[in-house]
Amino acid sequence: MIKLSTNDLIISATGIQKTYSTGVVEVRALQGVDLHVGRGEIVAIMGPSGCGKTTLLNCLSGLDEIDRGQVLIDGTVLHDLPDNDRSDYRARRMGFVFQLYNLLPVLRAVENVEMPLLVSGVSPAEARRRALDMLDQVGLADRASHLPGELSGGQRQRVTIARALVNNPAIIWGDEPTGDLDSETADEIMELMLQLNKSNNQTFVLVTHSREVGERAHRIVRMRDGRIENGGQPADAAPL
Amino acid sequence: MEELFGVSMTTLMWVLLAVTGTALGVVAVLAWRNPVMVKLGLRNIPRRPGQTALIIVGIMLSSIIMATAFGIGDTINHSIRTEAVESLGPIDEIVLSNRATSDDGFGFNPYFSMARFDELQAELAGFDAVDGLAPGIGQNLPAVNPRTDRSEGDLRVVGVHPATVDSVGSLSLTSGEVARLEVLGAGEAYLNAPAADELEAETGDRLQLFRSEEPITLTVAGILERGGLAGRDPTLVLPLETAQDLFQRPGQINSIVVSNRGGIVSGVERSEEVTERLRVYFADRDVASQLQALLSQGEALQALVASEATLEESALQEWQELRTELGRDGTSDRLVSLLADSSVSDSVLEALGEEGLLETQREADTLFAGLAEFTVLDFKREILEAAELVSSFVTTFFITLGLFSIMVGVLLIFLIFVMLAAARRSEMGMARAVGAKRRHLVQMFLFEGTTYSVIAAAVGVAIGLAVSTLIITLVNQAIGIVETDFSFTRHFEPRSIVVAYCLGIAITFATVAVSAYRVSRLNIVAAIRDTPTPISITTRTWRDILIAPLRAMGRPFILGGRALRALSRARLPQAAGHLLQMLWAIVSIPAVFYSSIAQALWRPFTSGWLAFLLGAVVAWQGIEVNQAAPFTIGVSLAIVGVGLMIRTLLKRRDVRAEVRDRIAYTFMGVVLLLFWLLPFDTLENLTGELDSNFEMFFVSGIAVVAAAVWTVMYNSDLILRALTFAAGRFGRIRPVLVTAVAYPMSSKFRTGLTLAMFALVIFTLIVMSILTAVFDVSNTDQEEVTGNWNIQGDVNFATPITDIRQAIAGSPDLRSEDFAAIGGYTTVPIQVRQADAEDQLWEDYVIRAADGEFLAESGYQLKLIADGYGPTAEDVWRAMQQDPSLVVVDALIVPREAGGFEGGQISFRLEGLFYEDESMSPIPIEIREPRTDVTASLTVIGVLDQLTDSFGELGVGMLVPKARIDDAVPFPIPLTTYRFRMADGVDQSAAADGLETTFQQNGMEAVVLAEQIEQNAAANRAFNRIFTGYMALGLMVGVAALGVISLRAVVERRQQIGVLRAIGYRRVMIQLSFLLESSFVALLGIAIGVGLGTAISYNIVADVQETAPTLRFSVPWVQIGAIIAIAYLFSLLTTFLPARQASRIYPAEALRYE
Repeated sequence: MIKLSTNDLIISATGIQKTYSTGVVEVRALQGVDLHVGRGEIVAIMGPSGCGKTTLLNCLSGLDEIDRGQVLIDGTVLHDLPDNDRSDYRARRMGFVFQLYNLLPVLRAVENVEMPLLVSGVSPAEARRRALDMLDQVGLADRASHLPGELSGGQRQRVTIARALVNNPAIIWGDEPTGDLDSETADEIMELMLQLNKSNNQTFVLVTHSREVGERAHRIVRMRDGRIENGGQPADAAPL
Repeated sequence: MEELFGVSMTTLMWVLLAVTGTALGVVAVLAWRNPVMVKLGLRNIPRRPGQTALIIVGIMLSSIIMATAFGIGDTINHSIRTEAVESLGPIDEIVLSNRATSDDGFGFNPYFSMARFDELQAELAGFDAVDGLAPGIGQNLPAVNPRTDRSEGDLRVVGVHPATVDSVGSLSLTSGEVARLEVLGAGEAYLNAPAADELEAETGDRLQLFRSEEPITLTVAGILERGGLAGRDPTLVLPLETAQDLFQRPGQINSIVVSNRGGIVSGVERSEEVTERLRVYFADRDVASQLQALLSQGEALQALVASEATLEESALQEWQELRTELGRDGTSDRLVSLLADSSVSDSVLEALGEEGLLETQREADTLFAGLAEFTVLDFKREILEAAELVSSFVTTFFITLGLFSIMVGVLLIFLIFVMLAAARRSEMGMARAVGAKRRHLVQMFLFEGTTYSVIAAAVGVAIGLAVSTLIITLVNQAIGIVETDFSFTRHFEPRSIVVAYCLGIAITFATVAVSAYRVSRLNIVAAIRDTPTPISITTRTWRDILIAPLRAMGRPFILGGRALRALSRARLPQAAGHLLQMLWAIVSIPAVFYSSIAQALWRPFTSGWLAFLLGAVVAWQGIEVNQAAPFTIGVSLAIVGVGLMIRTLLKRRDVRAEVRDRIAYTFMGVVLLLFWLLPFDTLENLTGELDSNFEMFFVSGIAVVAAAVWTVMYNSDLILRALTFAAGRFGRIRPVLVTAVAYPMSSKFRTGLTLAMFALVIFTLIVMSILTAVFDVSNTDQEEVTGNWNIQGDVNFATPITDIRQAIAGSPDLRSEDFAAIGGYTTVPIQVRQADAEDQLWEDYVIRAADGEFLAESGYQLKLIADGYGPTAEDVWRAMQQDPSLVVVDALIVPREAGGFEGGQISFRLEGLFYEDESMSPIPIEIREPRTDVTASLTVIGVLDQLTDSFGELGVGMLVPKARIDDAVPFPIPLTTYRFRMADGVDQSAAADGLETTFQQNGMEAVVLAEQIEQNAAANRAFNRIFTGYMALGLMVGVAALGVISLRAVVERRQQIGVLRAIGYRRVMIQLSFLLESSFVALLGIAIGVGLGTAISYNIVADVQETAPTLRFSVPWVQIGAIIAIAYLFSLLTTFLPARQASRIYPAEALRYE
């Protein structure tokens, strides 16, 4: 367990509320969530289906709007930023890993990986060099010119991780990053994330159902009915 | 309109109603039996209203095109019929004399004694089919209304016997009262409304008519409604006796009008009967029996029998009757009537045209000429038939023009359903997994597709009728440029609307059925998981393929046996079911048989060698029959065969599929492009000159576009790389550009189809635009077109100018020094034949009997000059002045080696030379004045350039020195057309006005030739723009395709949009990505269409330049720019909404979407 001071916090969310309306019923997905994550920490958000894990991740990362509360990412109030600035912020400072990989099927592995760099305005040559380096780091240098459809599930997830890390982001958000993988591959992917965390001191916030992932995270945040039951502070440690 | 592509519209309507009704009935029964599938199919319609609307727009295009074509056809038919009926009123036939005397001149029908009318009246006394006869005089004179100073150069003066007027319809005043000729006083006449408009005349005005130098004054007693005896054109009606005095023809008439029993329209039904009776009456029976004896001879009869095969169905019945009547003893009335029918006599002479029968042909020709003293014209029937013919032709023409668009529309429907199937793949997989059969999926799509087609066809027909109204309005405007007193009136036949609607449904239904069958063949597991369908490696063995037809033939027996067994057990429903299945099995035997053959041939075909062999055989056959279409198609097939062989070879060498496909298909695409873009005469040394027609435009269009799309799609990564490289410096746009190109290029089928649609339509529009510009005569050298004349003035036959130069000198409105040259000619209808030709029949044509100054001053260019008369055009004109038996013919009667540009309805053609030749020998011809039978021998020593007089629009006819004609015919020929060359700096319009004023009494109508050319060209341009606009309907399909694809893309890529937003794409980047994507397809399609259209047009123009070197290739950049801008703008507009919709998706929401 890593002990952190307040200055080391990279994510600081307080009183987050989010309600979805389907027109007929209202679903209170987040009901005043407080969550603080330290720099370099790996946090696993766990809980039963429908408890609001993914919604929390989307709200923290700025992919979704919040109704009430405040999210500070590295000192920046994300939700006060205009949409364009928030997009730029994500491009430069964040990486995303999803359960279904969500690679662009029409682009080759290396093109998928270099996409965030190009969006951030990095020159094409530099973007290609860094993307290849990143693929090398995740062990897929020889698959750089393959389309996602030509890769296995584990390989696709590695490409996703490479894409998430290529712009050297401060935070990597993962929504069930091992959810669609067999246990052996899931283990490999988790190992890879731990390695990268260790070597780059990057923060990982992972939404997961997997005990194995939770066990290997620095901290588990447990949620139920839109609230954090425990583990919301860096000092807390929720039992498995 | 009664017929389309030779099929009766009524038959077509009932067949289509039966087919459509059956199809909808089957769908209704299926729907009743499977309500769940109906629910599944139809629930998609309201789910995405935008998409549904776009699908309906795409589907309704074929109905729009059909309804437009039918609407135009109906309008034309109705307008011409109405015009004919209104113009002629109750008059159905007219009788004219064939015999001119020395008192008769040109410009009016020969006169004959009134006694002939009395005889005819007595002859027809008990004939029930005729209810009226009227003797009359009709001749044109110039007229002036001094009160308004308005003139009419060609006022028709009609004299009618007052007692007979009522028998052929009454004369009505515009006030509504009946006009009576018998109440007119001396020097009084009625004027019809068009004449009153032209002369701005009112009742009481005193008109001056010019028949000689002294005017005849007539007072207008009232204004008549036009039509019937009052005529369609400006006409003056007066009692017969007054007319006889006016024209100094006491006791004579020059026409008899006949009204059949029945109404204005229904009377036509008796036209055949009346015409036959009149022809028999007027025919010389002795001549008829001589003809009978001549044509009954063994060889002549054999020739008639042999030519039956070449006759059209309509003529065949008469022909067979003729043979029967020829074989009878004695000369029957029917035989006389048939022989007096000019269409029959023409066919007989044609049949006798073979070698060995030329003497018989000449003899028959002479006998036919002497057969009848009078001609009976059943012109109301002919006009109504012509209306039908024209409307059928126009409808067929518009449908043919629209075929590209209809084809593109069918591709779109197919594309739409393939995409819908792709979107619903997973749910269809689930449906199959829980027990739905393949036919259920087909039904599901059929229910949905039928609903779309029923709605879309209705909307399409409504829009089509609106489009046809718009086109008719534009055509009326175009006609208005050159003609002011005729316009089309919108008219739609309910039958045409039914046919258009049913055709629209049928086309959509068939396409939906095919695409539904295709999409139903899915792999259930792959569909549920939405993964690519695994490639099946199980193929049918030869044994399976060969046994299939045998099984198909055996199946009806098995089912029949089952039905019998069920019957024997009194299980009637079961027996009925087996019987129905048996019937279906019998019906499907041919399909199974041919499908087995196709499957057996498919493997050798795809391996290449069979395709190559087949192509080589077709190409060789094309050379054998001298046709370009089979040759080019064969060569293309052979090229495809070589490409497939390369692919097979690379496959055997284990080359990666991607690489071998690229090599093979790029080879095919590039070689096909090279082949089709070669100048047309490149392979002539090998193949000889091949015949080609308009169909080559379609074939070449489809071939080059397909080849280009093929090449592009299999090398898409190179385009992607090039664009990526080019976009490198644009920073944030680069990733947008990368995805915008990568997405369309990853769906090769979908993108290729859209690209092909877009490129095809643009290709067609570009070719039409360029060719319209190139053939626009106003863009060519005007001096060559007009022979360096500036003004043309036509005067009335009855009031020629005695000495034009003297008259100009004495005119206060004209100055002699303004006229650099004045030439004149008279257009005379004659019959002509070539003296040394195989075909020596007399054919109708016209000569221009030109005076010396016209020949001396003419600046016309000659395409061919006969040996010994050159080398320059001036030498030829000089020779003609010295020897008046020499003649120069216009290009319309000279055949082309490769067809095209010939004189349309003109039947006379010179033999032994082609327009494309470099030289010619003098050709002896004979001409005959048909009414006097006077003949003259002439020698053709030159051929005018085809541009002369704007392809004949300003005047046609062989140029003959007038002196030769004056010598030959027994009556004087006045000059009726003058050409004036003006001195430099003279205001030509003012001079034309001055000429009209000076020669008002001669009825001169003067036009500035340059203005006339521009006016004609403007009308042509207007028509071409209408056609271009109509063909641009296809563009709607291309645009709709892009819209459908974009809409689908937004749905399909929702999650990916979420990912892009997550990794930093701004909203505007998402929007831009979609817009760039459709721009990429649209611009690529436009580029292919413009490039290929320009290249093919260049080849066409280069080919035509061989015969028309003055034509210049030019690209109308403004028009092409407008086409590009419109196409691109609309494609952007259609994509804008889906793109905006995509950009507004919230990333978290998009990521949640599955």
